Amino acid sequence: MSIMSITSSHSSTPLASRSLARRVFDRAVASPGFRVGAAIFLALVLATALYPELSAIDPTKMDVKARLLPPLFTGTNWNWGHPLGTDQIGRDMLVRSLVGLRYSFLIGMASVIVMLIVGCALGTVAGYFGGRTDAVIMRLTDAQLSIPMIILAIAVLGVSRPTIPAIVLVLGISNWPVYARMMRSVVMTERQREFVRAAKIGGSTDLRIIVTLLLPLLLPSVLFSSVLDVARMMIFESTLGFLGLGVQPPTPTFGNIIADGRKYLLNAWWIATMPGLFLGLTLTSINLMGAALERARDTVHAGGE
Amino acid sequence: MAALLELRNMTVALGRSETAKVILDDVSFSLAPKEIVGVVGASASGKTVLSRAAVNWLEPPLTRRSGTVLFEGRDIYAMKEADMRALRQRVSYVGANPMGALDPTLPVGAQIVEKMRAVMPDVSRRQAEDRVIALLDAVRIPSARNRFHDYPSQFSGGMMQRALIVDALVTNPAVLVADNVTQPLDVTVAAQVIRLIKELTDQFDTAVLFISSSLPMVREASSRTLVIDRGRIVEEQATEALVASPIHPYTRELVAQTPQIWRGAGAVPALPAEREVVLSLRDASQTYRVKKRNGIGGVNLVRAVRNVTFDVRRGDSFAIVGESGCGKSTLMRLLSRLELPSAGQILCEGKDIATLRGRDLLAFRARLQLVLQDPFGSLPPRTSIGRMLEEPLRTHGWRDKEKLRARVLKVMLEVGLAAELYNELPLGLSAGQRQRVNVARALVLEPTILIMDETLSALDQAEQFKLLDLFQALQKEYNLTYIFISHDLAMVRKVCNRVAVMYLGEVFELADNQRLFFDPGHPYTMALLSAMPTLEEKRYKPEDCLLEGEPPSPLSIPAGCSFKSRCPRAMEICNGEQPFLTVRDEQDFAACHLVARTMSPAERASP
Repeated sequence: MSIMSITSSHSSTPLASRSLARRVFDRAVASPGFRVGAAIFLALVLATALYPELSAIDPTKMDVKARLLPPLFTGTNWNWGHPLGTDQIGRDMLVRSLVGLRYSFLIGMASVIVMLIVGCALGTVAGYFGGRTDAVIMRLTDAQLSIPMIILAIAVLGVSRPTIPAIVLVLGISNWPVYARMMRSVVMTERQREFVRAAKIGGSTDLRIIVTLLLPLLLPSVLFSSVLDVARMMIFESTLGFLGLGVQPPTPTFGNIIADGRKYLLNAWWIATMPGLFLGLTLTSINLMGAALERARDTVHAGGE
Repeated sequence: MAALLELRNMTVALGRSETAKVILDDVSFSLAPKEIVGVVGASASGKTVLSRAAVNWLEPPLTRRSGTVLFEGRDIYAMKEADMRALRQRVSYVGANPMGALDPTLPVGAQIVEKMRAVMPDVSRRQAEDRVIALLDAVRIPSARNRFHDYPSQFSGGMMQRALIVDALVTNPAVLVADNVTQPLDVTVAAQVIRLIKELTDQFDTAVLFISSSLPMVREASSRTLVIDRGRIVEEQATEALVASPIHPYTRELVAQTPQIWRGAGAVPALPAEREVVLSLRDASQTYRVKKRNGIGGVNLVRAVRNVTFDVRRGDSFAIVGESGCGKSTLMRLLSRLELPSAGQILCEGKDIATLRGRDLLAFRARLQLVLQDPFGSLPPRTSIGRMLEEPLRTHGWRDKEKLRARVLKVMLEVGLAAELYNELPLGLSAGQRQRVNVARALVLEPTILIMDETLSALDQAEQFKLLDLFQALQKEYNLTYIFISHDLAMVRKVCNRVAVMYLGEVFELADNQRLFFDPGHPYTMALLSAMPTLEEKRYKPEDCLLEGEPPSPLSIPAGCSFKSRCPRAMEICNGEQPFLTVRDEQDFAACHLVARTMSPAERASP
């Protein structure tokens, strides 16, 4: 166990001088999964940002003559002007899906962020300080968990207008307890570790310990699982749209596109399917990148490099 | 005498391939009836594999490559499964982890009865219970009949180890394999267990294979000793001969590395008496309120530290010693201001640390630092070492990146960490390296007082020596004051100039190194010294002063002297009056009526 052995084994690799974050990132980028995910994600971003403007098709413009056109190469009367077909009143599905993706993704991300902020903050505080603080916060969590999301949504969105910020807030507020519980349990075990005590002896305040020591340690795994929640939130938004409490028509979101398409499922399957396809692509790309990062982090942190 | 158990040319490897790592290499020895044979070796030398090979308990990937084990002349590896099971009642095994060995959801007694009836189906339940209770009595578990129904969590570590010895002895085995049984125990309890094992060989005609990493411990227990190094038995001699004249270089090194207590002059230089007091405790006490478990409510008061008073002077290496549960760790938390005392004061350079706030508190933090015990739990696993060492400096307001880096690298150099480790995670580091990181993290703030909370207990002997040398060099360079919290008296003898002995939250004795080891004033100190495993002639005979039983619970501390229930020299007065620290000499104090009696008039000391 001499110093010499450790020194020599590391000095032979020039990588050792790079910082940890850099090493994790480089490793992730080198993996095929990350590259595929990044390519899909980039394509989607470019498409949503550029196509609706470049094609100059209005996603709300009706064209009754061209209604229920099928996507390319299916059925009989497809045409190049509407690659993904049109819906029951002749609106272009590709543009509607891309614009819908903007809104749905925005709502999904924003509500997950609200959820994370509220849940992690409360969970961390409860787990770290324990005792009475913990009891109060946890009862609050229980109270929140006992209110079904739909009831809360109907109550809030029925009273106020269902604007996007209101929807984000409702979705975020109704789902934070899961994160609060998760954070609480991990913080509770971590705060008793010796290195937390060492930080206290070093003069760190509680806030500093939480922010610089515990969060960097615990957040990555929570963030990773929250990526899946982006999908869940997008689906919840569809549910709300289904009930008429989501984003109001004619603004397209995945929720109201699917709700519309439901009635035509037998003779125009593509209306409900296309948003689902985009949803699937988006989430696959995010998960591929997330998984690659997670794996790279685990490898580097387990001494793989 | 014919051998009871005999290993012949045993070779065990890790895995089946030709290139697999060999753990045991051609090991042969024999064990006669009623004999205790010791096996000593460093960690990872193959001791545990040896003990398992001897009882046919090798689990994959361990594979026996060659060799046989003969038990009463029969090869146990050639036996049928059923015969082997019948043989299990003749060969028993006790492991090093008493707390994990029994199912926590069943009473201890029931589990032992169960095991006994599994290997001896013709014994009735009642007979089995009677035998287990008789044995629990024999290993001196108090009120064995009641304890029989207790759950494992209600047993202390020492009692659990004894219960496991019962578990091993219940089938009346011919051979007992004791693998590192004393390792997790306190010295006095370990001494009791060794004495117990010796008695048992007489009483039940059991032969014992006693495996330990500590040569003094093996010397206490066994009559013949094998030395194992990297899977090979390098020496075999009668124990006394082995200690007196080791032949193999490895054995010689082992003997030389064992610290000596009384032989030779003390290594600690005497310091002038009048030095500045840096840390001073004034009747510091800590009482915890613990909820009663009866479900009705109410609290129990646990008096973890009681009226502790002493001074630490600049340049001291002050030791706080005692067995587990004596309040050392609580005292450490008080000293480092992780907790505030429930009564009394702790003064650091004249100021009560409980009243410090804001900037003053931060300054105190920089002055007093703590090095923690567990080398694995004390470093955040996903922070690079450089970042970890910078963190305390950032907390104390350092901002300049260059300066931070320079300071951290300087400290890393001082404690012997390579600069290349700056961007590395602590992951691949050995325990010794990790403790160096720990020391560096404490030193980076340039403290004047360092508290070492069992810092060395997780390291092996050689690494301990290296770190102790480092500590001494740092002390010389920065005029540091150390407070060692330890249960290892040999280490204390080697490096500390002043020693406080604690028992049940009280300081029983406070003395200079030389005085404490050569003329202890308290019977408890004598007991500790007598229980300590050494290679030399003991100054204090275990027969005269070894303790029976275990410390009372801090929930109900007896009136009068808290030691009286275990004290071999308890008197009338000990029942009613609590002894206080009494001056024996200018600097030495002991809390015992015996001291007060010889020094009249008895006066309460103000150390």
